[in-house]
Amino acid sequence: MSSQNPLRLERITHRFGSVTALDDVSVEIADGELVTLLGPSGCGKTTLLRILAGFIRPSEGRVVLQDRDVTRVPPHKRPVNMVFQRSALFPHLDVRENVAFGLRIAGIPRREVSDRVADALRLVRLEGMESRRAHELSGGQMQRVALARALVNKPSVLLLDEPLAALDLKIRLEMEVELRRVHRETGATFVYVTHDQREALALSDRIVVLSEGRIEQIGSPDDIYHRPVSPFAARFVGDANVIPVHVRQLRGTLATIALAGHSLDVPCGPSVARGPAWLVLRPEIVSIDSRNGAGGELTGVVRDLAFRGTGYSYRIEVPDLPELVKAEIAATHGGPVAVGNEVTISWDPDACGLLTRNSESNDDYHQAVNESDERDEDAADD
Amino acid sequence: MSTTQRSPVTFAVTMLALLFLYLPLVVVVLFSFHATGALSFPFTGFSFRWYRDTFGSPTFSSALQNSAIVATSVAILTLVLGTMAAFGLSRCRPRLRAPLAALFFLPITLPGLFVGIALLVYFARLDVQLSLTTVMIAHFVFVFPYFMLVAMAALDRLDPALEEAASDLGASPWKVFRKVTLPQIWPILAGATALAFALSFDEFIITFFVIGPDSTLPMFIFSKLRRTVDPSINVVSTVLMATTLFLWAVAFVFALRAERGRTRRAGGVLGEATP
Amino acid sequence: MTSVTESRPPSERDRLRIGPVALALPAAAWMLAFFAAPLVVFLVYSFLTAKLYDVSGPLTLEAYRDAVTTEVNRTLAVNSLVVGVCVAAATVAIGLPIAYWLRFAAGRWQVLVLFLITATFFASYLVRIYAWRSILGENGLLNSGLERLGILDEPLGFLLYNRFSVSVALVHIFLPYVVLVLYAGFRPISPALVEAAQDLGANAFARWRRVVLPLIAAPAATSFVLVFVLAAADYVTPQFLGGTDGALLGVRIQAALTGSGNWPLGAALSFLMLAAFLSCYALTVILLRALRLHRIRFVS
Repeated sequence: MSSQNPLRLERITHRFGSVTALDDVSVEIADGELVTLLGPSGCGKTTLLRILAGFIRPSEGRVVLQDRDVTRVPPHKRPVNMVFQRSALFPHLDVRENVAFGLRIAGIPRREVSDRVADALRLVRLEGMESRRAHELSGGQMQRVALARALVNKPSVLLLDEPLAALDLKIRLEMEVELRRVHRETGATFVYVTHDQREALALSDRIVVLSEGRIEQIGSPDDIYHRPVSPFAARFVGDANVIPVHVRQLRGTLATIALAGHSLDVPCGPSVARGPAWLVLRPEIVSIDSRNGAGGELTGVVRDLAFRGTGYSYRIEVPDLPELVKAEIAATHGGPVAVGNEVTISWDPDACGLLTRNSESNDDYHQAVNESDERDEDAADD
Repeated sequence: MSTTQRSPVTFAVTMLALLFLYLPLVVVVLFSFHATGALSFPFTGFSFRWYRDTFGSPTFSSALQNSAIVATSVAILTLVLGTMAAFGLSRCRPRLRAPLAALFFLPITLPGLFVGIALLVYFARLDVQLSLTTVMIAHFVFVFPYFMLVAMAALDRLDPALEEAASDLGASPWKVFRKVTLPQIWPILAGATALAFALSFDEFIITFFVIGPDSTLPMFIFSKLRRTVDPSINVVSTVLMATTLFLWAVAFVFALRAERGRTRRAGGVLGEATP
Repeated sequence: MTSVTESRPPSERDRLRIGPVALALPAAAWMLAFFAAPLVVFLVYSFLTAKLYDVSGPLTLEAYRDAVTTEVNRTLAVNSLVVGVCVAAATVAIGLPIAYWLRFAAGRWQVLVLFLITATFFASYLVRIYAWRSILGENGLLNSGLERLGILDEPLGFLLYNRFSVSVALVHIFLPYVVLVLYAGFRPISPALVEAAQDLGANAFARWRRVVLPLIAAPAATSFVLVFVLAAADYVTPQFLGGTDGALLGVRIQAALTGSGNWPLGAALSFLMLAAFLSCYALTVILLRALRLHRIRFVS
């Protein structure tokens, strides 16, 4: 496990018949990292994981593990082990024999097997469960056995295929803590697949955001959350508001944008140019004010309200904006504003972000966006 | 996404097995058309004369008719009694279930020889004349467990939530059966009935012991097997195979329909080959 | 199913409880009258004295003594055992790879191939016997075909009228059943189990030995015993394909019933066979339990 050589996926492309599941995907994973492949169903993350495991041979590209090209190496010969979504514990073996499975195949002597199995079960906190069978275990326990079964072989890379997806919420949260602890204690390299962005943010050293077979962004959770580079990443991680706007003027790192008939100055990066752009607004930085004449800029009507325990989730309809604006307001800010009331929306301009926009698509959303653009343009011309 | 494996060895075995299963049967059909009437290669020419001969034979026609009559009665009886029994077995008290199930399913495990000779002796003891009726009685005993297997499997796969929903909406037990249960299972039951017909039509092992002076198609073949060596046997065999194949296909289509209907409703997958 | 009755008020629930059994009564009555009763009568007959196509008089063990002491019966019993075991072993050994392929590697072809295999049920028992007789004989299709192709100068005489030909025909008859039973046995086994084994380092041989075979052991053992019983008791196949070498005990039983009219002897032989079958089944259950493979609970 002390090898410095990373795991590399080089230009992986894979097609199922006429469908391209992965398109020119390249990722480098460092030793001891926990990297998450994150994306919605069908984005290719599970395909990528299975290519890593060896169950799929990619149409193009290479998998390089410790400087060795393992693309054509079958799964049983790779120093890689997987935790399956539904544990896949062998029903005819008890917990001890399940965990010992890989060791017995490798011909490890009996005493060493005993020791290593005991260590593995201790690691996942299941000492005493050796004689149980899979159907006598809870979902969380089954996944812990699966984890032990994989880790006991000391793989170069541990693959996890949405291991918490089939578990209840409460167990899932507990298992997250367990996974982080196991990762710390073993120092192994983990590649994790999930569609749950919250889980990804909580567990990962780095996240690879995938959509439709392509990488949208790679970065630390903080990077992706605060500095998304595409509207998809912004929406998928953190569920941000992604609003079409128009950049009027650029002065250094300050852009003047037109938004629903108003003008705003926001800081921006060097890639932003005049013309169409996206404004990324995380729901937790949006403030609302229901007092009349509060002197705010954007006004809207509350269309939906949900109590979240720690606060409220609002959806606000603002004229000339194509989607409802999402706002998360902490409960400390007084009682909720009822549905149907008018509110003023504001936010700290330094906390939002701008992304470049290409106006190609012709679907309804982009139609609405284009109409909104035209209104902005007209407004600005007045 | 598919998780089917590549397994060249098992694929090869499967293909060879299919060859092994079909080649002898294809050969039988082939030689039913053999012009010269010899039963070995070379194959000299096609002819329908054996078909003409056989269909012209009155013994063949009466055997065919008898088989059809017996099979039809058995099929109907099995459908009615079998459906009732399947419901009874699946919903009865747990304590009764094991003995009833044993009574219903044991005949499959017992070789036909024993069932046949036990019935022969039994009918003799009761002074019952052997006839097509005794054949029909014996066929029911043989066919019934197969029908029950299929019917029970179908009932097991019913979603109880659907019947509960119907009751909840005010339907009486009979209405629930008619409007919710029956529409779900009738394809499987139809298929099982076709199966029952086919099994009875083909049956020989038990029939041999309990048949009277009349003949069924398999008995007809049997008598020919002992005496003649010409393609007329092939002809009768082909007729028998064609009928059963047709019925089997019917049964299969119904089973598929039922499966597809179920998956459309409940979202499952035939064979669960994909996760 | 019990949930339907549980959601009802008590009075309806009781009424429903009596109801279902009544539905099963007609069929149960039929089976009792024409399956259970005849077997009981037949058992009693094995203890009676033989009269031509009838029985009489005091209870006796004469039939059993006759059955066990006759040399011919012992030879036929051994034949039946050998053929039964060979046929059962062959069908299970061939059926396993087929069922495996259907479950794990067939993909879209699963339905079609499954239909093709089970469709051979359309081939009547007698038709198959006839087919193999015409194929294996000295003037049969295999020999004449090979002679025409120049591979043989003289026909192979050893193909027909022996245990081999009987076995081949019986395998041909029972293979589809076994494939169906094994396929049903494979259904609850998730492909992820085989993948997990592969992921943990098992090559194909190890996967079969450590995962597939243990999980299919119970259905495989059941089909083995089933085929063994049905094959060993067959009386038609040996008549047409067995000659003297391939004669089985079933032929003797049938002859006793319809030929010589010695019903007690036929009955005694039958129940001795049945006792042997029962012990085989019991042995299988014991073996499975010893290996802890008799009942595997799958987690969905």
